Amino acid sequence: MPLDTWLNGRTGTVKQPMTRADNRPVSRIVIVGGGTAGWLAACRIAAAADPAAEHPVEVTLIESPDVATIGVGEGTWPTMRATLEKIGIAEAEFLLACDASFKQGSRFIGWATGAEGDAYLHPFTPPTDADPRALVSAWQSQAGGRSFAEAVTPQAGVTQRRLAPRQRSMPGYAGALNYGYHLDATKLAGLLARHATGRLGVRHLRDHMTEVERAEDGDVLAVHTRSHGPIDGDFFLDCTGHAALLVADVPWIDRSGTLFNDRALAVQVPVAPDSPIAAQTDATAHRAGWIWDIGLPTRRGVGCVYASSHMSDDEAAATLAGYLGTAEVPTARRLMFRSGHRERFWVGNCLAVGLSAGFLEPLEASAIVTVELSIDALLGDWPTRAALAIQAKRFNELFRYRWDRIVEFLKLHYALSRRQEPYWRDHRAAETMPDRLADLIALWTHRPPSSDDLPMVDEVFPAASYQYVLYGMTDAVQTAGQFRPEPAPNLAAVEQRARALFASLPTNRAYLDALRAAHGPAALEQQS
Amino acid sequence: MSNHTILTSEEHRELRVSTTREAGAGDAVMSALVVPDEFRRVQNEYPILFRLNLERDRYTALALFGFENGENLFLDGDRWDARYRPLSIDIQPFLIGRPATEGGEAQVHVDLDSPRIATGGEGVRVFDEDGRPTPYLETIAEQLGALDAGWRGSDDFFAALTRYDLIEPLTIDVTLDSGSEHRLAGYHGIDEDRLQALDASELGDLHEAGHLMPIFMALASLSNLAKLIARKNAVVARG
Repeated sequence: MPLDTWLNGRTGTVKQPMTRADNRPVSRIVIVGGGTAGWLAACRIAAAADPAAEHPVEVTLIESPDVATIGVGEGTWPTMRATLEKIGIAEAEFLLACDASFKQGSRFIGWATGAEGDAYLHPFTPPTDADPRALVSAWQSQAGGRSFAEAVTPQAGVTQRRLAPRQRSMPGYAGALNYGYHLDATKLAGLLARHATGRLGVRHLRDHMTEVERAEDGDVLAVHTRSHGPIDGDFFLDCTGHAALLVADVPWIDRSGTLFNDRALAVQVPVAPDSPIAAQTDATAHRAGWIWDIGLPTRRGVGCVYASSHMSDDEAAATLAGYLGTAEVPTARRLMFRSGHRERFWVGNCLAVGLSAGFLEPLEASAIVTVELSIDALLGDWPTRAALAIQAKRFNELFRYRWDRIVEFLKLHYALSRRQEPYWRDHRAAETMPDRLADLIALWTHRPPSSDDLPMVDEVFPAASYQYVLYGMTDAVQTAGQFRPEPAPNLAAVEQRARALFASLPTNRAYLDALRAAHGPAALEQQS
Repeated sequence: MSNHTILTSEEHRELRVSTTREAGAGDAVMSALVVPDEFRRVQNEYPILFRLNLERDRYTALALFGFENGENLFLDGDRWDARYRPLSIDIQPFLIGRPATEGGEAQVHVDLDSPRIATGGEGVRVFDEDGRPTPYLETIAEQLGALDAGWRGSDDFFAALTRYDLIEPLTIDVTLDSGSEHRLAGYHGIDEDRLQALDASELGDLHEAGHLMPIFMALASLSNLAKLIARKNAVVARG
């Protein structure tokens, strides 16, 4: 007979000394931090929770009134569409409330050689379905000198024409092509906060956290606040940004030896009301980093990312001014960061989500998607007291894998460059290169990237992403031709579909202006 | 009002057409012209009825969408709930035009006053930025050609029906679940008894001219009346 049953039978009462032995489902969720990460987590968990459950999940978010959010991430991945849909926000409402526009990929200008005309697109829509070798071979033989992206997806021509990826008559979040968003991150946090508290029943405490109360085994029992006292919970999310108030003890794995950009100067430039809105993020390389350019309906967000080891702040400001075509160095916000992440993200009954888990330079806008993936994984394997240690171990393994892959994918952009400035040469130095990436690049001089190189079902970057970067920056490989060819993709069909899309899609500007006209400010207020 | 003009890539390079199906675009109609060549596809969705023109010298065929003027029971917000729409609906706001000279080639015309002419940069382009027809216009041109040929074959079809006395007046009385009654009068249909009575050589004659299939399709299409009534009942029940 198990000991506890025996004790119960004998005495009728046994005080459970540790939370782990408790059988109640994990239902009291406390989120510390109210940035994009905190509010996204609150909305996703609250929207997924069944209010009729015996132990309904209750979400409390503690947001410090003293701490400003970072709010720089202005590009999302296509995953954001499913995230917003699950949260229950209509696409039109989101687009209007966040000053958002459609992002269909990234354009890399000057990354390969820095010469005139050096640019390529990494679109969100994967190439037309084909075996990678057959695809590359068809591109070489049939495409008549067109770029890889132009040959394999209509999205290249669509972004050149600054067209939207969808028509307004389509159901929300559906598109003719794959897309994410450019948005005002501060407004997104505001929208999510209103939605969480107004429609999803999230409890919002504007208070300062003073102390973390832990059990003997390190589990968090409560976070203490200045005016609301201790806030108990079953499970805690650390969304406190760089401060990492709940997981600060977890060792930090520094990635700045591989990705050595550590500063950014960010400005916002107003745009004329009827100016065209770009359909992709532009990333323009400079001698010691790169410049982001993100077009919203009302403004452009432009930022110079650089490595302080290779460029001074003044030089960066001059580089930014040169890009903007302004004589004066603009007044910019300076951000300092260090690429890296925690050794573990889920510790006991606490999960780090957002900057508290880690941060990598913003080249692939990986910050928000990492938040989305973390919440997906949490909801996919909801914490159970008895299995908490196993769940944490599995989560940590998965996300260590994912951070490694993101680091490698970011590094790929530098590794393939042929630019000769010291910064770029240093970026190609063998000691800065992850081993696995070095091996793959060596392989890819003989054959295209394939899903065999990326064995997970849910890779953060699929083989298609590697293909777009590889063939955007380098010449294609000649396949040996010792084996019977796989069926060739129909590139003429890609072209035909492109023609149809060019005719039927409105420009980003026309779409967003018509949307604004159809939903006046009054209509929006009624909804919220 | 209409404002017809010949379509050219110079004049209409930036023209965009709304392909959204909605009342505001002129889709709230109780019927539309159909031609015998498309009866096979039409009868999958709609009742096909015949009507004499005002001069009472020529029949045309119609697909029925509703029971009173302006009622299209297939229209649901911005959706046309059917797998096929008659050519005469799909080609709007385009039309076939012919030059004044005898035997001139058919041309594509456009009605610039149509509510389908899009403004504000939405809708489908007719020409691309280089002035080449878009796939949308290519489809429209095919449909216009099919409608034109079908329309010209239509007279033959009705002449044959008249020759064999196969047309009879049709009055349809509809009683809805709510008890209200509607009557569709002034229409014609195939006289089934006369059709059954045709002998082999008469049937062979109709078949050879390609009229037999559309005759049976028109006959079969009347089973869609029950489905149309069901749509009407559903609309009434919704209030």
